[in-house]
Amino acid sequence: MSVITAFTEEKVIQTAVQEIQSKLAVSQPKVVLYFASSSYNPQEIAPAMNHAFPGAAVFGCTTSGEIISGKMAKDSIVAMGFGDDIIGDINIQIVHDISTEDNVKQAFNAFEGYYQTPALELDPTKYVGIVICDGLTRAEEKIIDSIGNLTDVTFIGGSAGDDLKFANTYVFANGQAYSNAALLALLKPIGTFDFIKTQSFNPTNKTLVATKVDEANRIVIEFDHKPAVEAYAQAIEHSAEAVNAGFMSHPLGLMIDDEPYVRSPQQANAGAITFYCNVKEGMEMSVLESTDIIADTTTAIEKKQAEIGTIKAIINFNCILRTLQLESQGNCQQYGEIFTKIPTIGFSTYGEAYIGHINQTATMLVFF
Amino acid sequence: MAGKIKAMCNTIIAKRANGNPVIEKLTKTKLVLKGVNPDQFTASSPDDQVIIGKLVQIAKDLGVTL
Repeated sequence: MSVITAFTEEKVIQTAVQEIQSKLAVSQPKVVLYFASSSYNPQEIAPAMNHAFPGAAVFGCTTSGEIISGKMAKDSIVAMGFGDDIIGDINIQIVHDISTEDNVKQAFNAFEGYYQTPALELDPTKYVGIVICDGLTRAEEKIIDSIGNLTDVTFIGGSAGDDLKFANTYVFANGQAYSNAALLALLKPIGTFDFIKTQSFNPTNKTLVATKVDEANRIVIEFDHKPAVEAYAQAIEHSAEAVNAGFMSHPLGLMIDDEPYVRSPQQANAGAITFYCNVKEGMEMSVLESTDIIADTTTAIEKKQAEIGTIKAIINFNCILRTLQLESQGNCQQYGEIFTKIPTIGFSTYGEAYIGHINQTATMLVFF
Repeated sequence: MAGKIKAMCNTIIAKRANGNPVIEKLTKTKLVLKGVNPDQFTASSPDDQVIIGKLVQIAKDLGVTL
């Protein structure tokens, strides 16, 4: 069966789910992953999708826009059915109360029981994880850090969205919609899999060291012992009063082996800068300048295909800030068309996960 | 005193990775994301007690005995 994708813009949930079911159910998928606009009532769509695919592991989340082979969409549902020739096994756990607790260990106790293997002994070439967090909890760093402590299996993913309302985001599993929660899915693919992490930025020769921070609230108070706004404005050669205008094209990059793990500024306030992910005191980061999302994403996929082979499926966690940039440039159609010949679903996220919590990046799980 | 930070980083990476170069690279990435970049220290770097304290906790979190 391999992989089949489905897309619907039907607004009535029963009709929408029937349309997806009509495309996927005949192939009896082992796993159904779906991403749904927050315009669909999450309390209705979760049980409906679960009911439509009895015998399959059905999971997903709410979005700030959807992606499917050939297009970027809004107010829709995208779904991907995986056959047992792609995913041999899967176990899904929900971690609750992530804004105040860290219950990741409990999830991993369950994974260990299911796969009968200690988490640290799971072979990262044979297992892969998907992590989707409630995008409004600011808990992603804590969750992903805990995952990384417990296992060397890569968990890739993103933060659920809600069409830029910033009210409620949900993850779906077990026929239910959960908020203040993280969904962890541990998969045992049959064939080869790999990852693409692509962010369209180059480092400049300017760096900033976070010398005073409020880590829990993702605020940098000082860079290089100067008020953060003043230091950042100087680095990007903008006036401090208009510093917000530089945020999108000049985020900061924590450089690891010449690759940026992007930290995106969100807002300036009283001389400090709030980011979309946390910055630890002492972190030295490069000031980044933006490049071409279409060209860079195309190159990243072509490079991966040349390296490993024909891609059977992509799950694309694409930052909402990238989507907004594509929209402002009139390039959404071009971006969707990058994936025309590759079975792909994805969504616009409130943050991305790949070893850590990052911004303005597309993190992709790729099956071969 | 000097060099302790680099030595601690190397020990954490080596013990967690157990000879696997992919896990070595992954563990180094985790260290940087946790706030300590091994590439910024050498055998001559002064022993900064704040960073040493961070590495003690990181080792505990990663299940590594220093």
